[in-house]
Amino acid sequence: MFKKVLIANRGEIAVRIMRTCREMGLRTVAVYSEVDTRALHVLEADEAVSLGESEPSESYLHIGKIIEAAKSTRSEAIHPGYGFLAENPSFADACEDSGLTFVGPPASVIRDLGNKAMARRIMTSAGVPVIPGMMEATEDLERLLQEATRMGYPVLVKAVAGGGGKGMRVVSESEAMREACLSAMSEAQKAFGDGSLYIEKHLQTPRHVEFQILADRQGHVVHLFERECSIQRRHQKIIEETPSPVMTPSLREAMGRAAVSAAKAAGYVNAGTVEFLLDRSGQFYFLEVNTRLQVEHPVTEMTTGLDLVREQFHIAAGDPLRFLQEELFQRGHAIECRVYAEDPENSFFPSPGAVLLHREPAGPGIRNDCGIYEGVGVPVEYDPIIGKVIAYGETREASRRRMIRALENYAVLGIRTTIPYLIDILKSPEFAAGDLSTDFIERHFQGWRQSAEYADAAKIVHILHDLSSPAKASTGQEAHGRPTPWETLGDWRL
Amino acid sequence: MKYRLKVGEETSEIEVLSTENPQRLRIKMADKDFDVTFQRVSEDCLWMVVDGKATKAFVTTTTAGTHVFLAGCSYLVQDADRIAVRTARRGLHDETPKDVTPPMPSVVVRILVSEGAPVKKGQGLIVVTAMKMETTLAAPYDGKVKKINASINQKVAPGDVLVEIEEEVLKNG
Repeated sequence: MFKKVLIANRGEIAVRIMRTCREMGLRTVAVYSEVDTRALHVLEADEAVSLGESEPSESYLHIGKIIEAAKSTRSEAIHPGYGFLAENPSFADACEDSGLTFVGPPASVIRDLGNKAMARRIMTSAGVPVIPGMMEATEDLERLLQEATRMGYPVLVKAVAGGGGKGMRVVSESEAMREACLSAMSEAQKAFGDGSLYIEKHLQTPRHVEFQILADRQGHVVHLFERECSIQRRHQKIIEETPSPVMTPSLREAMGRAAVSAAKAAGYVNAGTVEFLLDRSGQFYFLEVNTRLQVEHPVTEMTTGLDLVREQFHIAAGDPLRFLQEELFQRGHAIECRVYAEDPENSFFPSPGAVLLHREPAGPGIRNDCGIYEGVGVPVEYDPIIGKVIAYGETREASRRRMIRALENYAVLGIRTTIPYLIDILKSPEFAAGDLSTDFIERHFQGWRQSAEYADAAKIVHILHDLSSPAKASTGQEAHGRPTPWETLGDWRL
Repeated sequence: MKYRLKVGEETSEIEVLSTENPQRLRIKMADKDFDVTFQRVSEDCLWMVVDGKATKAFVTTTTAGTHVFLAGCSYLVQDADRIAVRTARRGLHDETPKDVTPPMPSVVVRILVSEGAPVKKGQGLIVVTAMKMETTLAAPYDGKVKKINASINQKVAPGDVLVEIEEEVLKNG
């Protein structure tokens, strides 16, 4: 096993990886940009190396600087987390060229599966069902228009190098196709350096069901059951759970087998996720393989009892898998909610700024993988995720109620977060019934507004705060134009 | 003691009456009359019982107002009298929802129009990015691009007018 590991990431995922490193006795090296000098992942690491400017291309995406940081600290392995360089084959190559172990699949596998069209070809030849669509990507606009007409609308335009919903558009009529392709190309070019697109048939109200896989260097592959991630906004998951409310033993068996075949066909090593769309009739279609740890991996950890990051390090160090498929089982139910620094009342616009107050939820069955703390700034430069809350319960209903209880106790002030929005989704009868689909939010939560139920109570809090604030005397609030409570309340004791 | 407090778009006139118990108040808001007892737990935490129902609330103050968290919701409570004073002081320039300005600190990624070009209300003018999300700022009304005050990769902040639009003057006939 390694002695020292560099974590080429920031925020909650860097902190989460460091926790396992500490438990395993691995020393950790953080990297950080100018704006992250006081970030939590820097404070949690054994060592920290500055990467310079905050711009991602100059810091967390700068392969040369990160390799240099690993060498200068004599790290033996690099864990990329998710996002940034996690699915960049050149980075995996650069690690190998420098004698560093990349904690993830080989560069060639990332390259093959990162090309969505190539991935579809691999899956087709392995007998894994794929969504009807183009088998190769193109930047030729006319060709895309022709294919869409041939396939019939609605279609899904996807960037060949895509991920996280970037460079992706649902197009329901031919008039909108040209503009959608142009904007998707530009977004993909900017985000991934490749503007090629391909088109898939757009399935109506499918569920997103994915399988966690683990594969060792010796060729053993197991799956760690499914996760349902149908609650998405902007094609980005915000609530995930396992088991899926519609899973049956036979469907699980079939999908799990397909996921393992997919991994084997691709020559997969380390932790990965095979994503499927599941339609109303129980048909499932391969979507893509994510060649990294997923944001939603904790729900699998909670229900299998495994630590996926620990398994990743064992596999990267060359150890064979420590269990067979038949030794794995799930117990109970887990739900994860992603907490973003975003304004859910304003099209989820990012809400960076200083975290003025941060009180984390606790209690039975609650885990909070969080990357912020009170007093820190949430920078404008990076993805707005600030953490994820996971609730475990013996049943889906127990974990749903537990999650509501936890989120209602998760106080964050200073930045807007998705917390009140998540609570309303969890409380909705549709979610409670497990009636999920990838267009759940469009169907039920469009134009959401925070309830005004507690607005009167909030005004009362303002008044009580105003009347009893110990900081009152020094804040110079005489501009109020009305007497202060010191003048009106007479004998006032704090 | 009286307050005028605003949450969202709604402003309430509130009257606070003290009782013989300093930890107990009567608060009259519109047609409602609340019986409130409370304890200050810490600088940013209050415990209160409103009409028999106990709640713990977190609170902090910025120049924007009082930020309150309770029951999973967060509200910004503003003192309507103070907003009125501030707006009057800053004059008409505060009333600028029609300006093409980013809603938060961002970086310019694309400029979709050039100076002198005619634009229609709702037409995209400039694309900015913040936290990996792109947002297109649109023309607030029909008109002509008078001036572009931004360049690609420039960091911009709310209040910066990125594109100036000369409003189309309606002609007769």
